[in-house]
Amino acid sequence: MSAERPTPLRSKVSQRTLEQSQPKVDLPVRVERLEWQADGSASRLSLGSIALMSGALCVLGFALFDAMQSIIVNFSAYPVATSLLGALLSVFTLTLSVLTFREWQGFTNISQYTQSRLQEDVLAEMDKAPLLTALRDHARHFSKHSYAAQCFTRFEQSLQDDHSAAEVRKLYKHCVTDAVEKKAQEVLKKESVAAGSMTFISPNHLIQTLVIVWISLRTIRRVSLVFGLRPGRLGNWKLLKVLAQNLAAQSIFDLATDEVTNQISGSLSAKFMENSAEAVAAGALNVRLGKTLIRLLR
Amino acid sequence: MYPVFDKVTKPFKKLASAGREQFDQWFLQDTHRFTITGLSRSGKSMLFTSLMTILKHRSEGQYNCLPLLTRLPMELVEHMRLEPIDGYTLFPLEEHLSELDNRRWPQPTEQVYGFKLIVRLKQIARVKQWLLPYTDVVFEFIDYPGEWVTDLPMLNKTYSQWSDSTWAQQASEPQSHFAGGWQQFVREFDFESSPTSEKVQQLLDAYLRYLHEAKQQGISMLQPGSFLLDSDGYDWRKAGFTPLPAKITSDVSHPWNQLFSQHFLQFQSQWLNPLKQSTFKEADKQIILIDLFEGLNHSKQHLYQLKETLSHLAETFVYGNPNWFSRHVLNKSQIGKVAFVATKMDLAPAAQHDNMLSLLKDISAGAVAKFADKPIKFEHFLVSAIQTTDADSEADSLRFLNANREYVEASFEPIPDAIKAMPADEHFPLLNAQVPDDYLPRILNGRGLDRLLQFLLE
Ligand SMILES: Nc1nc2c(ncn2[C@@H]2O[C@H](COP(=O)(O)OP(=O)(O)OP(=O)(O)O)[C@@H](O)[C@H]2O)c(=O)[nH]1
Ligand SMILES: [Mg+2]
Repeated sequence: MSAERPTPLRSKVSQRTLEQSQPKVDLPVRVERLEWQADGSASRLSLGSIALMSGALCVLGFALFDAMQSIIVNFSAYPVATSLLGALLSVFTLTLSVLTFREWQGFTNISQYTQSRLQEDVLAEMDKAPLLTALRDHARHFSKHSYAAQCFTRFEQSLQDDHSAAEVRKLYKHCVTDAVEKKAQEVLKKESVAAGSMTFISPNHLIQTLVIVWISLRTIRRVSLVFGLRPGRLGNWKLLKVLAQNLAAQSIFDLATDEVTNQISGSLSAKFMENSAEAVAAGALNVRLGKTLIRLLR
Repeated sequence: MYPVFDKVTKPFKKLASAGREQFDQWFLQDTHRFTITGLSRSGKSMLFTSLMTILKHRSEGQYNCLPLLTRLPMELVEHMRLEPIDGYTLFPLEEHLSELDNRRWPQPTEQVYGFKLIVRLKQIARVKQWLLPYTDVVFEFIDYPGEWVTDLPMLNKTYSQWSDSTWAQQASEPQSHFAGGWQQFVREFDFESSPTSEKVQQLLDAYLRYLHEAKQQGISMLQPGSFLLDSDGYDWRKAGFTPLPAKITSDVSHPWNQLFSQHFLQFQSQWLNPLKQSTFKEADKQIILIDLFEGLNHSKQHLYQLKETLSHLAETFVYGNPNWFSRHVLNKSQIGKVAFVATKMDLAPAAQHDNMLSLLKDISAGAVAKFADKPIKFEHFLVSAIQTTDADSEADSLRFLNANREYVEASFEPIPDAIKAMPADEHFPLLNAQVPDDYLPRILNGRGLDRLLQFLLE
């Protein structure tokens, strides 16, 4: 048998013993579930709950007031009730103004503006190395504790040396773009529900307007925090415009619902209907604001 | 003798009567049946072992593995579990892992193993959460000795057809280098005396010596491969056969021809047919594992032979298996999927992977041609079930632990991107890479499995 053995072939691999032992490989990183919260501080929360509670008390108070008024029309002497309600109202207004101011401060504290935007069509053409550089440059703008920054870290941890440019793009989309967008929508939804419910319990137009301004600013800050970016000068202007439009729309809507309420007569159930209609409107307008913002930050 | 195959249909009958399980099957389970086909030593068992280990660490330990597998998002995996399939011995995952723990590669597979891997995904959509609290993705895997799979093409042949083509193959390269002794034995053998069991035994022994020798030397097309195993498969000692010269196989009245034809029929009906039914049963996704290093190690001729073997194999599951084809591809109007996977990719420097991929495409071209006009989607992948090697400062080199557990640097000349480009008088000796001490992180760092699974689940 061995007579027919093929002649030895030339080897195309050369080997050389190294003066070292094999290095250890690390386990892959463990990913924490991304438990990101727009706010963590308790004091803000307690202020918020004061506002909420006093708001709720206002509703109750005003409703009671209305009811009492309609039942005992003849009793014109109610100085205690008015002063109590007055006090409640001033506490509510004050705390809300403080909250609004804080939201504004928080928003301006998000350090980076979106000047550089990722041009998808440009990225689509890039090779792996320049692509990674472009993505990292972009990510440098994310503010430190933002959701986007966390997502980007996960993206970096998922990269492997054998990934192609197309795979890197897919991975970035999955880990960062899509994840951030989803989170932003989530936050926006929550905020808009809040806008609606706050409007619902607002007993009068002054309070309603204040609440809307506050929630709108809060929405802008929280959504911006998800992206880790603040819209540039032009973007801020656009947002301001939408905010103004929203307020205007809400007042027109107020007038209309007021008119309807007048027609039905000013009973409690009519007030209820008016407020629920306004709540829906407020929620919807807040969504509009948020969508504009997301489009600016994307 | 073949209880494994009798039981194959039972689980399905049983399920039909169990209401709850049926409900789960219809609404909560997304079942994917995978058949992994691969020649002997192509890396099937190691791939399973690695896949289980990675998925387990990914879902239970939250390790960031398989990043491209967005079809099974990490944050949605609630848990995963391994379950036996009725009629199959459970895949010896723990045994394989303890082998690795002792720095040894898993033993060659000698019998069939089956197992189900169930990955439970949380439901996120609110409404669905009420109705269907979770979805199970079920993978069914069957692992078996690679020697069995090369026998499947024998189903479409008569004994004399098989004998003649095998005889012809032995006369051509690279088999001819190892078949000399066996053919000499046949030339001197007295076929005029009647085939007593003693004489048959002598012939079988000589043929088996050839089979074992040729297998050692990297020949992939060895039939019957089942004879190479002493497992409880086919009892070839009792009813074996060997190829015979044409002057005997062309004479239907020849006693040796008659006896071997009879044994051949028995082999087909008692062994091959049930084997085919079970291995390719219900599988809509085929993974074909290919070890290119074996061919590169031996010679250009070995690579050609590997190509031929693969194209024979494709025949058995595309044409040769109307069940698989009609049930899964035609009836369900769903596209069958075939993945050609080159294994052990850690044994080539990363800079050579592009060439490896095109070599893989070249080697599987014959198989691909077999289902060119069928609704079958196919793709080529490079995977490593474990990263035994490390990158070197030179792009064309890598580092690994050799048989003496010394740390060695290996420098590669360019790997050919097609068989044609391979010089006939050169070869790439196989790096006999040992199981590294830190085998777990190296398994979790395996490459390409996420791409493969993503393709199959999409
Ligand atoms: N470097 C490296 N070697 C591997 C890898 N996978 C398998 N091997 C080697 O290939 C050999 C065969 O792998 P197995 O998984 O046992 O192959 P198999 O297809 O199950 O073989 P049979 O059971 O005999 O059909 C192993 O003993 C290892 O030496 C891998 O990912 N990297
Ligand atoms: Mg095996």
